[in-house]
Amino acid sequence: MDTREYGEVGAKRRQGKTMNSASHDVHADDGGAFLMPRHSAKILSVRELAPGITHLVLEDAYVARHAAAGQFINLYTNDPTRMMPRPFGVSAVEGDAITLIFAVVGSGTLDFSRLRAGDSIDVLGPLGRGFDMSRSARYVLVGGGLGIPPLLYAAQQLMARSDADSLALLGYRDIRYADSTASRYCDAVRSIDESEGNVITLLNRHLGGLDGDECGEGKSGETIILSCGPHPMMKAVAQWASAHAIPSQLSLEARMGCGFGSCVACVEDTVEGRKKVCMDGPVFTADELGWAV
Amino acid sequence: MMESLQTDPAGTGMRSEASGEEGRSPRAETPGTDEPHTGWRHGTVVAGVRWKNPVGTASGTFNLAACGRYYDVSAMGAISTKGVSPVPWEGNPTPRTAETPCGTVNAVGLQNPGVEHYLIDELPKLKALGATVVTNVAGHSDDDYAQVVARLADSPADMLEINVSCPNVSHGGMSVGTDPLALFRLIGRLRSISDKPMVVKLSPNVTDIVEIAKACVDAGADALSLINTLVGMRLDINTGKPILANNTGGVSGPCILPIALSFVWRVRQALPNIPIIGIGGISKGEDALEFLYAGANAVEVGAASLLDPVAPLRVAHELESLLDSRPQLAEKLEKGMAW
Repeated sequence: MDTREYGEVGAKRRQGKTMNSASHDVHADDGGAFLMPRHSAKILSVRELAPGITHLVLEDAYVARHAAAGQFINLYTNDPTRMMPRPFGVSAVEGDAITLIFAVVGSGTLDFSRLRAGDSIDVLGPLGRGFDMSRSARYVLVGGGLGIPPLLYAAQQLMARSDADSLALLGYRDIRYADSTASRYCDAVRSIDESEGNVITLLNRHLGGLDGDECGEGKSGETIILSCGPHPMMKAVAQWASAHAIPSQLSLEARMGCGFGSCVACVEDTVEGRKKVCMDGPVFTADELGWAV
Repeated sequence: MMESLQTDPAGTGMRSEASGEEGRSPRAETPGTDEPHTGWRHGTVVAGVRWKNPVGTASGTFNLAACGRYYDVSAMGAISTKGVSPVPWEGNPTPRTAETPCGTVNAVGLQNPGVEHYLIDELPKLKALGATVVTNVAGHSDDDYAQVVARLADSPADMLEINVSCPNVSHGGMSVGTDPLALFRLIGRLRSISDKPMVVKLSPNVTDIVEIAKACVDAGADALSLINTLVGMRLDINTGKPILANNTGGVSGPCILPIALSFVWRVRQALPNIPIIGIGGISKGEDALEFLYAGANAVEVGAASLLDPVAPLRVAHELESLLDSRPQLAEKLEKGMAW
């Protein structure tokens, strides 16, 4: 078979600016090559980070090379009767090692939590449109609960940048499982649990100017909020950001059927109609979602 | 020399894992590479339309912008596109999908940007790539179907597939496809609008599939595709409520394979000459071959494509090898005949 025609069209398509131009039609370094299909990856370690929360590391050179912060990968369980993909935001990349952090919420995540070093698992990705971190800015990473892991990867990438700062504002139900990791990457980390408040409390406290902006303005004057967490939390964050004239990007979670744009199961209403979370997102701006006030 | 070839040294139409990250071998200088070729050894003919190989993508599980990034879609026997309606449809609320052992239950509700968008965007792109295109037609009413078929009548689509079997829309879809008289009237009307090879996609949610199939053939259908999904549902035992916002959905995946085979076989027994596209739970070459032995002239891969984007092309390659050792079957398919 001959793939020249696709190569040409693929290359042309990449030149077009779309809503997804940020990081979704990625792998420019591959020219017109096809993306890696579903493939096997080796598990390097699996441990319980906190009760009910699993920290899984797998070896995948392709994902490691291409994953942008905010993108996700599909995992497929080794039980052949459980066919659907489970999408997880990439939490860290070190060498060829990909870290995922997730809660055990059902049969699929239970299967993954029981994997051991040396096991193999099927992977597809990286998938979706990640955070746009192209600007020189102070990035405020607003995470809630199990939405925090993708922000850790954003923090990891920002740490390597001389033109960007990062402040993490993290909200937990109880156990502050990600604070120590976030502290390794971020310029400052502030967290809160439900006994005290939520991420809006933190935003008011550290960004709202109520008690002075103790975390500083950063090297550049611009502030951008990147957020991931429960849907209602992100809506509140988007509205807070909008009220304070701060642009925000929200990484949505959705029940997905394929994860790469074919099945149209994981849609979200946007100002341009129903968009696929897996392919047009998972990261959308507050303006795209119509969540800005 | 195109970049795309470099990670496809085996010429399979998709990225090979073995080609690795750094190990992209420069493609050997091959004389005559300007001539497009497909390299398939075993094609099939469905209602006069030649497919490069007997494997297509099933409607609703293929999106060019998504799948075209993973493989050479023109290498498929045919691409059956997502159902198109006269105007954009926004589909059902979410959740739209639920898991079931060896399958999925979905209720997307035919969200699509409408036939005008399809004619400007997806169809020309697919044809420019060299794909054989089966355009799936959806509607809420007979007038809807007629309007879409009229718009497609002089389009470059190779075949039309009339979707009278979607279980997830309130009007049209399955409500037409389960009533032989209503179906006869609709297909007869569409037949008068377009001479394009017309496939009718049948629902398994009927008492007598043969009666339905005969109504389509009597009304002038050129071919049948079967089966669409089976009506099903899952409930959340914590809330006691259906998982899907639509309550019920369509079951697909390997769990429906034996059911689909029995439908194809029954229709083939009753109608020896009508071309049949077999669909339902195909995830490997052996499954496709089983459908050919049940009487299908071609097959389409559906749910498996959602679990690995390159699944349809992989199935096509696997079937190719299986047909190598079955020359009689391969010869019949090439002549437009079923087993």
